[in-house]
Amino acid sequence: MNREDPAVRSDRSPPTARLLALVYEPVSEGAEGAVRIPAGGGRCLEGLSEFRVSRLLSAVLDVMPEIGWRLVLFGADVDALGPEKREALRARVAVLPSTGGLLSSLNAWENMVLPLGMHRPLDLPRATRDIHDCLGDLRVPAGELLKKLPESMSRYEKILTAYVRILLEQPDLVLSENLHQGLDAQQRDVVARFPEVYEARCPGGTFAILSAVAPGWRDS
Amino acid sequence: MIGVYREFEGCMRLAAYVLRRLGVLALPPVSEALTRQIYFTGASATTGMVLRGAFIGTLIIAYVIDVLDANAALAVKMLIWVVLREIGPLIAAVLVIQRSGTAVATELALMQISGEVASLRRMRIDPRDYLVVPRVVGIALSTAALTFYVQVIAVGGGMLLSALSLDTSLAELAGEFFQLVSPVDFVYSVIKSLMFGAAIALLCCYHGLHPPGTSINAVPKAAINAVTQSTLLVMLLNVIFAYLVFGQAFFGLVTAKL
Repeated sequence: MNREDPAVRSDRSPPTARLLALVYEPVSEGAEGAVRIPAGGGRCLEGLSEFRVSRLLSAVLDVMPEIGWRLVLFGADVDALGPEKREALRARVAVLPSTGGLLSSLNAWENMVLPLGMHRPLDLPRATRDIHDCLGDLRVPAGELLKKLPESMSRYEKILTAYVRILLEQPDLVLSENLHQGLDAQQRDVVARFPEVYEARCPGGTFAILSAVAPGWRDS
Repeated sequence: MIGVYREFEGCMRLAAYVLRRLGVLALPPVSEALTRQIYFTGASATTGMVLRGAFIGTLIIAYVIDVLDANAALAVKMLIWVVLREIGPLIAAVLVIQRSGTAVATELALMQISGEVASLRRMRIDPRDYLVVPRVVGIALSTAALTFYVQVIAVGGGMLLSALSLDTSLAELAGEFFQLVSPVDFVYSVIKSLMFGAAIALLCCYHGLHPPGTSINAVPKAAINAVTQSTLLVMLLNVIFAYLVFGQAFFGLVTAKL
């Protein structure tokens, strides 16, 4: 594997070495709606319309920009890449949806380790330790959460589960929808620590919140 | 017509994908899903299957003895030809369609509509790897196991009834049975039931993943499509198998010119 190729390189070099983690912009100059996410740290992109967030997430998840747009991930223009390199780029990005996006037939613990088990050999003791560490970093007691099925979880617990699931995979870029709606002050405090905990566990990675309104979250 | 062709093509593509991706069964989440499916289809359905199998076996033999005024040899031949080769796999397949086919189609349709299938894609997990492969393999293996239960119970029940109704002992009937039965009968029914199970699971997974709409009303429609088409396909496969292996279909009404 060519480690110099931006599509497959997954080292988290300092932000100065890679200026932009993601660029999504119209091909024609002067058109509005461009999104640029600088690499490293927690970022909050305010003022995006729901439509634009949805289009951006679709483009990133499919590694395929809409017609007339250009998607650049970690310095690589995806239009110039083949399917394998696009897949390698996609593996470095995770999306944290506001609903959690959990599977209803699996409990929280199974939901957390599912992608890990599907993508690489699963080391269960290590995964269990990592899950407890992640929750500990967020100052959230694991308690009964890990045994709960999504049907008996609150929205906050679903978001927590999805967040830990993402942390276990250690992506280079996390795109998060606005998570604050419907949470109480204490829960909002925990959610506000997401970028900080992510940065501690994935140094050099980028945590971007795509939101029209995101109180308390600013560039770190 | 175009819709039927699309569904047929989709199912064929899904079957080819499952065959190509059997290796994913080694992944822990997929093997766990396989175990759950085998437990649901093959183990937890056993009691009902055993009762129905015994009922059907004894019913057939009762009719044969009563209507045809049969002797022991004819009763045993009927058990092998009808119960072992045809009715056993068919009854197991119909019960799997009723119980697991509807459950699979409904579950997958609900997952598709509620966005859980999209969540899997978001996690870079191909829904076919996690949802379809373990269900197809699990239902195929379970159908073979259930067929075996039905055959044992139906043949055992049939022989017991024959021993009680005819002037012959159970040991004599059993001796005659083992003399007439051949390994081909077992291999034939095992292969047939594996095919039935795989076909049922593929159709139910296909319709579950392609519900005819995005509202909750699409869920029962997907289940209905899955069940009706699975039943038809099982009947068709049964006829093809009977014709290919024994040169006859529809219990001898159609005979091959060999």
